[in-house]
Amino acid sequence: MSFQDLLLQQIINGVSLGAMYALLALGFTMVYGIIELINFAHFNVFMVGSFVAMWIMGAMGIVGQSEVLYGLPLVGVLLVTLIATMLITGLLGVLIERVALRPLRGVAGTAPMITTIGLSYILFNVILLAVGADSKNYTNPLPRTHWEIGEAVLRLRELLLWGISIGLMVVLHYFVRGTKMGKAMQATAQDPEAARMMGVDVDRVVAMAFFLGSALAGAAGMIFGLYYNFTSFIIGYTAGLRAFTAAVLGGIGNIPGAMLGGILIGLIESLGGHFIAVRWTDVIIFSILVLVLVFRPTGLLGRAAPTKS
Amino acid sequence: MSTPSIARPAGLIAGLKERARSEWGRRVGLLLLFLAALAFPLIDRNEGDIDAVANALAFAILALGLNIVVGFAGLLDLGYAAFFAIGAYTYGIFSSYQVQPEWSSFWVPFEYLGLVAHNTANGRDLVHFTVSFWLMLPVSALVAAFFGVLFGAPTLRLKGDYLAIVTLGFGEIVPIVARNTPYLTNGAQGLNGVQSPTLFGYTFGVASAPYYYLGLLLLVMLILISTRLKDSRVGRAWLAIREDEIAAEAMGVDRTRLKLLAFGIGAAFGGMTGTFYVAKLQTATPEMFGFPVSVMLLVMIVLGGTGSVAGVVVGTLILQLLQSWFLQDLTQWTHALGRMTGIGVLERVDLVQSIELIFGIILVVMMLYRRQGLIPERQSVKALSLDQQAATPSRGGIKVELGPIHRKTVDRNRPLLEVRGLSRSFGGIQAVKNLDLTVMPGSIVAVIGPNGSGKTTFFNLITGLMPPSGGKVTFAGEDITGLGPHQIVERGIARTFQNLRLFANMTVMENALVGAHTRTTTGPMGAVLRPPGVKREELAARARVLEVLGIFGNRLMPRIEHLARTLSYANRRRLEISRALVSEPQLLLLDEPTAGMNPTETLELTDQIRGLRERGVTILLIEHKLNVVNEIADEVIVLDHGEKIAEGSPAEVQRNEEVLRAYLGRTATAGAPAAS
Repeated sequence: MSFQDLLLQQIINGVSLGAMYALLALGFTMVYGIIELINFAHFNVFMVGSFVAMWIMGAMGIVGQSEVLYGLPLVGVLLVTLIATMLITGLLGVLIERVALRPLRGVAGTAPMITTIGLSYILFNVILLAVGADSKNYTNPLPRTHWEIGEAVLRLRELLLWGISIGLMVVLHYFVRGTKMGKAMQATAQDPEAARMMGVDVDRVVAMAFFLGSALAGAAGMIFGLYYNFTSFIIGYTAGLRAFTAAVLGGIGNIPGAMLGGILIGLIESLGGHFIAVRWTDVIIFSILVLVLVFRPTGLLGRAAPTKS
Repeated sequence: MSTPSIARPAGLIAGLKERARSEWGRRVGLLLLFLAALAFPLIDRNEGDIDAVANALAFAILALGLNIVVGFAGLLDLGYAAFFAIGAYTYGIFSSYQVQPEWSSFWVPFEYLGLVAHNTANGRDLVHFTVSFWLMLPVSALVAAFFGVLFGAPTLRLKGDYLAIVTLGFGEIVPIVARNTPYLTNGAQGLNGVQSPTLFGYTFGVASAPYYYLGLLLLVMLILISTRLKDSRVGRAWLAIREDEIAAEAMGVDRTRLKLLAFGIGAAFGGMTGTFYVAKLQTATPEMFGFPVSVMLLVMIVLGGTGSVAGVVVGTLILQLLQSWFLQDLTQWTHALGRMTGIGVLERVDLVQSIELIFGIILVVMMLYRRQGLIPERQSVKALSLDQQAATPSRGGIKVELGPIHRKTVDRNRPLLEVRGLSRSFGGIQAVKNLDLTVMPGSIVAVIGPNGSGKTTFFNLITGLMPPSGGKVTFAGEDITGLGPHQIVERGIARTFQNLRLFANMTVMENALVGAHTRTTTGPMGAVLRPPGVKREELAARARVLEVLGIFGNRLMPRIEHLARTLSYANRRRLEISRALVSEPQLLLLDEPTAGMNPTETLELTDQIRGLRERGVTILLIEHKLNVVNEIADEVIVLDHGEKIAEGSPAEVQRNEEVLRAYLGRTATAGAPAAS
């Protein structure tokens, strides 16, 4: 394989990973932007989403990787799975917020964050106890269609995943910019007190942020399974940390920043993994996290700065 | 401490000693507990039980170390296991066959010291590291502390939640490095053949009892260190940072330094335990130090009581013994129940596997329903009698014997504070614009102005909480522009806050003692060893606090053991002023000291402020109540939109047209009585 083709291949892989991280990073960034909370439960909402999508496809009679769909049935199955998964994980996010985090709103210090760690552990272990520790072959009805560009390969599934991610981000963008709820979210992020006085129901806004973030995490979970062809109870941790790094890199609280950060982290993972060594990937990504926080705490696109003023 | 009338230091010290005597009962209880712990391996001869408890002791030490970081200083560290790993590998590498350089004459002196041995294997001359466990115990602590400081230095200025994620990353990196450097650590297979400790020719080997006793010894030592640190100048500074970083800094605490200290000491505990644990297991693998270990330690702290030394130890023992004893039994009972009832799920379930689920549930339930943990850091105090609660406002200023507030000599003819061209803008808004101000020693200067006129920003600029965008601040002839808040307190400027920034979960006494931070010198070593000098300093500081609290009569005195958050609004203001006074300020900045007080309380405080001036304190105050300003201010500065629009005596300023316009609006000026 020539160097250019190798590079191209790694860029294709990196953008695919990045699209997934971006979806996941959006959940971190929206919740942080509104209530300044790092939500560790988000890691495993993503993992749950990946199982939920698999179970939904199973419920529709599609199991394993031998059954390949084309055309309208494929689009239908993917669309139904995507929407149902996002609804379920979105509601899971709302439930988490309502039961465990709303009572702690306004409690200073580390208590809310510690609660999200506990929630994350609960999700993680419930799935572990339910499905076991071995990784599961993922249901994958996508055809094996692919194109060769030089020696690099672009598969249909990658194009599809890019499409889903970009589509969701465009929808999110218009939701936040264009709808009343979206504007209420922006206002709450700027100044919760003023927003409340202007008649914004802050509780609903926070619940909405959890719903949207968790729904996107569900979509990312489904993408993970379709991309890697497996899922397991442990996938939330690494992917979650990388996505969080992406959110910080782009500028936490900043929605376009999360998308940019996601793509960059995806590229760093695939290029770094190939040209340096896979076993050092996490070290590289965490070093980026630390360096960004220390030298440019507002991230690439800025706004909510993580240092106290 | 319940007698409100004490005012003389001698009496106070006697009171403190009396309290120390009442602690004897508690000490006897602890001694009995310790004796029971000593006897345990003699009573329960089951090797497995002793081993389980020895492991629990190791985790209790780790949890105590993490508690210094999370519980005392309030820094959520999710990668604490990394320091455990560093300590473990430090000892493991220097006392096993993992690293064996070629033998050369360079090693001869080390062989003489017993640090290495000459090893001939397969015809090659090699070095075998045989550094003693007892030497490595402190060395590992130091190495871990070094990494703690190295890693903490760039990240500790980040807000708490970011620190959590960075520490999580660090906790992840260390095991990865261990896995990826097999020549040092034997990678994923793990380090083997780590030598066990020997003491006077006795080898610890694989028996559990020696490790149990060693662990017990270390735990007792670290409990002592933790308790002593907590109840010291250093510990109070940590708690202050945990409660309110900005107020801590404004009271003279160098927060970066103290956070680093907490991180370093916590890491040292972790490193030492790592060495102990590896010597006990005689092996080390990267998996022993991952994220689950850090979370488990956090669960122990949260369950026992964040910041509570006894709580953390109890929380750890409960969880460890739950895992190693109770869950196994419970699983067997469940299986038996399953066989009896024929329910298949019960027959197969393994509760030991679900320990992490239990951890998660503990975290959530404790946070929602009992954040202070099983054994809270603070025990509740007795409610005050009605007699003690009764307080009649009285005029006449300070009625107790109280010497000068500070010990500096002030040049009466030179300005104490000189501000030239001070400016600060936020984005496009000029909050303070080109401000000039001179404050002579012994005067009371009031800063007034409409809301948003830049008064509080002005205070923030003088006290270093915010860097100015331009201009210069000179205090007692020294340029203090750009100094940090703690440096400015040290030079003799103290302040109170408009929206009250007390350390809510610290007692009245502790709050005020934080004020003495810059006037005392006890460091961590002194806090732990408590030589006579440290005891004297502590007693003097406490006596001083009681003197200062005495200014407010029986408002604060009966409440010195109460938490600041239980105080009334007016008493919080009084405590803030006391805290500032304990720092021995020459210049006291009061930001709306009478806000939230009724008219009689306001008059009382006004007199007391005048009394402070008589004791050598120069006062700069922001005040909205013009009667207060008229009563005590020698000079009034009026700010509007960040600019000084008038200055002069209260009477002059009241006649100033521009002031009237700023306060009442243009039309009001037209209708106002003739100003001249």
